[in-house]
Amino acid sequence: MEITLNFSVILTEIIFILISSFIFLIDKFVKNKNYAFYITFITLILACYLILFVPFGEFTYSYKTDFYSSTLKLFLVVGTLLISLISYNYLQYYINLNSGEYYGLMLFSIVGAFLMLSGMDLVTIYLAMELMSFPVYFLIALNYAYNRPSLEGALKYFIVGSLGSVFILIGLGIIYYFTGTFILQKISQNLEKSLYLRELLVGFIFILIGFSIKLSLVPFHMWAPDAYESAPVPITSFIAGIVKFAVIATLVKIILIGFNSLRIEIGEVLIPIILASILVGNIMAIKQDNIIRMLAYSSIAHAGYAGLGLVSADYIGYSFTVFYMLVYLIMAIGTFSILVFLANFKRELLHIPSMASLCEKTPFVSLLLLVFMFSLAGIPPTAGFIAKFYIFMSLIKAKYVWVALIAILFAVIGAYPYLRVLKVVYMDKQEFEFKFKYDFTFLIPVCITVFLIIIIGIYPKPWTDIIYKTMYFYITSLFYPY
Amino acid sequence: MEFLLNNLLSWIIWFPLIGILIILFTDRKHESFIKWISLITIVIDTILSIYLLVNFDFSKTGFQFVEKKRWIEFINSYYFLGVDGISILFIPLSTLTTLLCILISWDSIKELVKEFYLALLFTNIAMVGTFCALDLVIFYLFWEAILIPMYLIIGIWGGPRRIYSTIKFFLYTFFGSVFMLIGIIYLYIKFGTFDYTILINQKYPFLVESLLFLGFAIAFAIKVPMWPVHTWLPDAHTEAPTAGSVILAGILIKLGAYGFIRFALPMFPQAALYFSKLMLVLSVIAIIYAGLVCLVEEDLKRLIAYSSVSHMGFVTLGIFSFNPIAMKGAILQMINHGIVTGALFMCVGIVYDRTHSRAISYYGGLATSMPVYAAFFMIFTLASIGLPGTNGFIGEFLILLGTYLSNKTMVVFGALGVIVGAAYMLWLYQRVFFQELNPNVAKMPPLKINELAALILPTILVFWIGLYPNLFLNFMTTSVQNLLMNLK
Repeated sequence: MEITLNFSVILTEIIFILISSFIFLIDKFVKNKNYAFYITFITLILACYLILFVPFGEFTYSYKTDFYSSTLKLFLVVGTLLISLISYNYLQYYINLNSGEYYGLMLFSIVGAFLMLSGMDLVTIYLAMELMSFPVYFLIALNYAYNRPSLEGALKYFIVGSLGSVFILIGLGIIYYFTGTFILQKISQNLEKSLYLRELLVGFIFILIGFSIKLSLVPFHMWAPDAYESAPVPITSFIAGIVKFAVIATLVKIILIGFNSLRIEIGEVLIPIILASILVGNIMAIKQDNIIRMLAYSSIAHAGYAGLGLVSADYIGYSFTVFYMLVYLIMAIGTFSILVFLANFKRELLHIPSMASLCEKTPFVSLLLLVFMFSLAGIPPTAGFIAKFYIFMSLIKAKYVWVALIAILFAVIGAYPYLRVLKVVYMDKQEFEFKFKYDFTFLIPVCITVFLIIIIGIYPKPWTDIIYKTMYFYITSLFYPY
Repeated sequence: MEFLLNNLLSWIIWFPLIGILIILFTDRKHESFIKWISLITIVIDTILSIYLLVNFDFSKTGFQFVEKKRWIEFINSYYFLGVDGISILFIPLSTLTTLLCILISWDSIKELVKEFYLALLFTNIAMVGTFCALDLVIFYLFWEAILIPMYLIIGIWGGPRRIYSTIKFFLYTFFGSVFMLIGIIYLYIKFGTFDYTILINQKYPFLVESLLFLGFAIAFAIKVPMWPVHTWLPDAHTEAPTAGSVILAGILIKLGAYGFIRFALPMFPQAALYFSKLMLVLSVIAIIYAGLVCLVEEDLKRLIAYSSVSHMGFVTLGIFSFNPIAMKGAILQMINHGIVTGALFMCVGIVYDRTHSRAISYYGGLATSMPVYAAFFMIFTLASIGLPGTNGFIGEFLILLGTYLSNKTMVVFGALGVIVGAAYMLWLYQRVFFQELNPNVAKMPPLKINELAALILPTILVFWIGLYPNLFLNFMTTSVQNLLMNLK
């Protein structure tokens, strides 16, 4: 048992923590608040570089950078870059939000996500998850300056999140009691010869509940619409995209490394939760008039669809889960960029019925919205379709034809809310004033995401390949050392 | 020409993309530029598709102009295109229909012109792609992609109840196709490929085959539309703008019948034979029921929409009688119906643009105020009834003849449908064009050049197919025989 302290491996996280602390320290003394954006932007670009070139390796037993975590971290950093761009755009118009705290907290949250992806023992993952979540609670509450009830959303999220932490801790306790370790690899070794499989499954279910709360799966979804609505709009995309992506990728990693021999049972446990999420998310989205609430429910449904890959309980299914979440991350960033644009120039436009005849005022934005909505609904030739297609494929391969049938029928119901948005934008008529200008900080994220949506929809091969490869190396290096 | 011939299908499918890109980066103020660009694009595309016809070899049984490139190796899916005698005629029909749509909506579309032509060109890509695709994933991609522009075309430029109709249309067809998606995925899991040419040679247990057939049949039957699932069609047709109706009638509902011939029959022959009785009965019900509904319809467009259901009943009758003559008749009838009903919808669109009324009682004596128009309408009416000398006759005659050889009872009912068809169409013509001149339509502007052009093209085809169908039947002879031989 030799413990290595290889600081170069953990360099990215260290830099993030230093810089966000630095922002907090000097924030009081700087008049021009844009500095925080520039620092964040440079840090994120630096992080891209570091992720690409930092060597793979371990920092004690609880932290490890490898192909899987580095690739997913890269996706996260690029996503955060786009979100920081739209945040900059948003903060130009909502100047009462404290820019320094905003970016500092965002960086802290990213550190949590990184540590989660790299964490190799359950306690590290738990702590990292808390580190990721706490700044998000603050970020939601930051909107207090504009939206008094936002405190309610933040508090709701905080309380439910704490409940999730409690569940995770109980699960950790049970697992430690029966295996005597927190380290994932050792858990997996103990699991193979363990007599207490059922007890360990119960322990894992407690952890799963904690993760489901972050993923807003039914019945732990109550916080989502309120939190989404009360957060600043870019932060909503952060919660919907980045946080969920990190959580689900970590969940996949925990199952892959730690609980591999239980994965079929875990899949069976997940079926009712997942189907309920798809059902509730899609049906509740139909009646929502606020587009952010609508997207909150749709994000519940999308988390459900992504989870279907976990139900299938094979490695390809897991890679499709991550792929689905990646596609959803892209769609969420794109859609919320458009919402940021609308909120900047006329906040009432976030109310769906008042979006009527938007296509006459901003044909360009409406066209982009069209692409995103069809992608969310899962219509080809967009990435949303390909992602759903893969998920259903893995399900049918795992002989869960009935689950696939139910999920696919709910996808038809789920198309309606998006069609409704398009209906209002393109087909309803009204007279209203709308003055706007296109900023680069809006155009860049939107164009990149739209481009990706269409490219992945037409030629998804490299994207699925890379995700499968990361996982494949993972599996082979862990279980087949030859 | 060599580079063109090697990838001719890709050229035809993706050529409108050039037009789309040009239009996308054009300012919306230059409306006539946008129209001309889309017209030129589609004319070139039509010429390319006719070039495809000219280079087609009748005598070969297999697929021609095959393109097979790697697409997603991970799931063994290829960018696999090819045409045979069954699909070849639909490609020029698609491009021609889009051309007619552009001509007919030249003046009638006034708002969001840019989006309209973008949607039309996009529809063209998806339609041609669906007819060429031989890989099931590619097929499904194109098949579903049509929904996007059609949703917009009906919903934005349609009539008063357009939103209800378009959402109904979208959800109905989407609902149908997800069953097909499950079937496609199941086939892949079973055989590890999406390749059509491999999948048709597989054997399944009967129960599995029946379920797969039903999964595909739901998707296709909703598109056709067959009798119990036809309710989206009258709404969508009626509320769509003229171009939308023409595309719906001309191509979109052909996709369902094409899907039956191309996929459902060869891949699941046992199940198809087993369910053929049911399908024949449903077809006959569609023929007679829709015909009777036409007799009481008060709405011009709705009447023609229901007549589509009736005509497509003939097509499915021909398909499921498993007889080479009837099958050829069915394919020819699909093309006929595309031309004739598309033209009828254009005719209705022409008067609708002038009067903004679709009620039959609003018209009357139109023959005195628009004589040329009345002549065209007469031609298409007669073709729709199936008068000898027009294309409708050839199609219906072949279907009834072929069905007689395999199933005599159905022919009796089918022939009844022909009589009902004559009744409602002639009565419609009488109410709209003869009788006393209704003051509403006393002064009507004459036909414009673009409308005239859009009407002349189908007229030529009506008589061409009607008088010399051999040319068109030659295309499909070998393929149909081959198809039915494999079936038995």
